[in-house]
Amino acid sequence: MPRTDSQPRTKVAILGAGRGGTALLDLLHQIQAIEIVGITDRNPNAAGLQRARELQVPVYQRLGDLVSNHGINVVMDVTGDPALGRSLPQLVPSGTDILSGSASRLLWELVQHESMLQAELLHAEKLAGVGSFAAGIAHDINNPLQLILGLAENLLEEQDLDAVHAQAAEIIEAVKRTTAICRDLTSYSRRASACHEAAVPVNAKLEEALKIARYAVALHDIDIRRSYHPDAVVTGNPDELLHVFVNLITNAVQAMEHGGVLTLESDVTDAGTVVRVSDTGTGIPPDLLGQIFEPFFTTKPPGKGTGLGLYNIKNVIHHMHGTIGVESHVGRGSTFSLTFPDAAADRSVHA
Amino acid sequence: MSEFKSGFFVGGESCNGRVLIVDDEADIRKVVRMTLQKAGYEVLEAENGEKAIEVINTGENRLLLDVIICDIRMPKVNGIEAIAYFRKNYPRVPLLVLTGFPDTDMATSLLREGVLDYLVKPVEGEKLKAAVARAMEQRQLAPL
Repeated sequence: MPRTDSQPRTKVAILGAGRGGTALLDLLHQIQAIEIVGITDRNPNAAGLQRARELQVPVYQRLGDLVSNHGINVVMDVTGDPALGRSLPQLVPSGTDILSGSASRLLWELVQHESMLQAELLHAEKLAGVGSFAAGIAHDINNPLQLILGLAENLLEEQDLDAVHAQAAEIIEAVKRTTAICRDLTSYSRRASACHEAAVPVNAKLEEALKIARYAVALHDIDIRRSYHPDAVVTGNPDELLHVFVNLITNAVQAMEHGGVLTLESDVTDAGTVVRVSDTGTGIPPDLLGQIFEPFFTTKPPGKGTGLGLYNIKNVIHHMHGTIGVESHVGRGSTFSLTFPDAAADRSVHA
Repeated sequence: MSEFKSGFFVGGESCNGRVLIVDDEADIRKVVRMTLQKAGYEVLEAENGEKAIEVINTGENRLLLDVIICDIRMPKVNGIEAIAYFRKNYPRVPLLVLTGFPDTDMATSLLREGVLDYLVKPVEGEKLKAAVARAMEQRQLAPL
């Protein structure tokens, strides 16, 4: 993704790639004003090192190599090792700030708080989106109700027994159609359960998302094309992933006010499982591309968008150790690509 | 039936007037047709705004179409666009909106643009017939 910043970024080194280091990495990586120049840990199998490789953050085997150059502004020591804390000032060049000991513990608390806020934000944004479903829900409830009312009124006068039977059967079918709405939406609007990770079949999730997105956006002028890989499976929270897909589909359709083609793709490549959502809509101007994943950035009129959709999507994808990218051409459309490193192959599949 | 008050003859049948129902749902067109035919109206159907514009521009419909009942959320040419077209090109044909979505702002702006009534589904047959009868009265007050 192109970056649009003009100010120099704060260069940060992370020491320690355990729980704290990983969380810090995930958080700082999302902040455009910060450049993570590298991470290191005494344990070569530390979780944060793997995560760093996924995010293309340099991993250093030796602490000295990391902190000694690069013009680092801040060294963040989250090893919790008091001895390192004492020796660090001698290791880093003068002028480099060090965060360690209780200062880094404070930072850890802030990171924890931030992650809780992100979960809250995700839910709040989802519920704000449900408000835009009103028109679609009204359409799907009131049309069958009109049919039911019309047929029932007709039945009051109908003399022909066959016609009575046929119309009663139609009423029953119309009632059944309306029950689908509650089923779709109650499962969507519930809070994503925090620890619920599973192998999620991508294609089925995309289809489920399409069903929900049609409450928010009218799909009747949209030509929907699918290109699915049968084995596309990713590991993550199914509710959060559904939310991601609903959001991407909704955005894509909203970019095509006068109709167009929505393409949903899944693929299994060497890089992992790839999901793409493409539209043939207005496209995103190059000068805005760098901002679209930032919180509260929106091109929609006031009251129409929270500016949190893509920001939340990016957070969810990062938690799933995936990456998100966008390619866009003004007047031709946009493609959002999600790449998930292959990790789900040996897990059982849950819908 | 009491609705037969200003009947004239089209194709040899007694007819209270010619009504066009524009809705993307075939079910809606069917029940509206059922209700209005029983009240003596001839009912034409269109599944979206584009088709509706085609229908009104076809043959004698230019002159003989009395009332248009139009949905809002439809493919191709939607209700808002179709209504703007009808108001501009056929200002004497009364328009009724029949929509699934009760939207006060939209209703206000449509009524201001000359839509006669904004009906929210599900609407009872009696209410629909009354709205069409009122539209017919207006139609007769505004000669060709």
